[in-house]
Amino acid sequence: MFDFSAAAAHLPLLLQYIAEVCCIHLGPEKRYLVEARLGTVIGETGVKDIPAFIAIARADTSGRLRDKIIDAMTTNETLWFRDQRPWDSFERHLFPEYAAELASGRRNRIRVLCAACSTGQEPYSFAMLLDEAASSGRLPGLAPAAFEILAFDISPAALLLASNGRYNQIEMGRGLDAKWKTRYFKETTPGVWQLDEKIRRMVTFRRRNLQDELAGLGQFDLVMCRNVLIYFKDEFKRDLLERLGAIIPTGGLLLLGGSEPLFTHQHLFSQEMIGTTIFYKRKPSTPLP
Amino acid sequence: MKILAVDDSRIVRRLVGAAAAVIGAECGEAGEGGEALRLLEADPEGYSLVCLDWNMPGMDGISFLRALRADPRWKTLPVLMLTAVADRESVLAAIKAGATAYMPKPFNETDLQAKMLDCLGLGFD
Repeated sequence: MFDFSAAAAHLPLLLQYIAEVCCIHLGPEKRYLVEARLGTVIGETGVKDIPAFIAIARADTSGRLRDKIIDAMTTNETLWFRDQRPWDSFERHLFPEYAAELASGRRNRIRVLCAACSTGQEPYSFAMLLDEAASSGRLPGLAPAAFEILAFDISPAALLLASNGRYNQIEMGRGLDAKWKTRYFKETTPGVWQLDEKIRRMVTFRRRNLQDELAGLGQFDLVMCRNVLIYFKDEFKRDLLERLGAIIPTGGLLLLGGSEPLFTHQHLFSQEMIGTTIFYKRKPSTPLP
Repeated sequence: MKILAVDDSRIVRRLVGAAAAVIGAECGEAGEGGEALRLLEADPEGYSLVCLDWNMPGMDGISFLRALRADPRWKTLPVLMLTAVADRESVLAAIKAGATAYMPKPFNETDLQAKMLDCLGLGFD
């Protein structure tokens, strides 16, 4: 393991480098986090100090070491159906609305985006909820085929796991009720659960960085960007929200994490309580004077 | 894709097997280095990664690693050391002996999966 206590003087350099490649801004009080996540990555390179580590990371033109740093720093804990409330709001309010619009022909497609999806629990939760609501027959018009669910993340390893749709016992235990487990998963190897192929195919995964231009992904009726903003500096948050605003058409919805209330960007979004959840609704674009 | 779990603990071998299954690989098992070399000999190109314990009865991890690297067939086969010994000197010794990466014990399955993918150079673009 790399000895961080001897490298404390160089910690700011490492934090700066992490901010540069991952866009995550951490203060020196987060040494434990850096230590836990990058300790082995640094140790494996055999370097004696942090400047040497940064030098070899910069010199690695293959980008492999940079990807390792990104994977280690950005792969976050993720849960199935995280925070119950938004899922209730989808089921009771948004799905009926989408169903009515699809049935009446006012719309023929609903596009959903999950930003920073990690290993896929959030987009798959949405897909399961949708499939279950559609097959119950309660909402004629709610056709899963009319939905396009796109999810992106920066970590190649997380995306590979997400697209496999296979989860271990620890991951299955995080927020997944027996109802969903029985209906949509099969234990293929002891301790390994495979997601139903139909649900797996409902979600498309892409590799994208939150720093990237998102406009190329198209427009989305619903964007989930939950528990992501908390990691970033105000300046980056502002920029990201502007870019999210650009991919949500008038009336489209943005969902943030429960602990991330949005007080800025009133030119782009208005707060809207749907069921028991606060969503941010895209306002009409102001015409240029 | 096949991964070889070399560990005297059945529990660790099972954890490696489950992590392998999640990333879409099969898993062979050996309880010590000599048995692992015999499995490799029987199928020299069959494995994409070795997950290796350090302290085992019979041939230990470092001796196995040296034997592996001395054979041109397995010079570049990725080896992930799973070890409770994680001080800087030991890690450097393992890297010098040819380990690709290491993972301090105890670890959880999710971290192990990520590490395996990293060693295999697998990702998603």
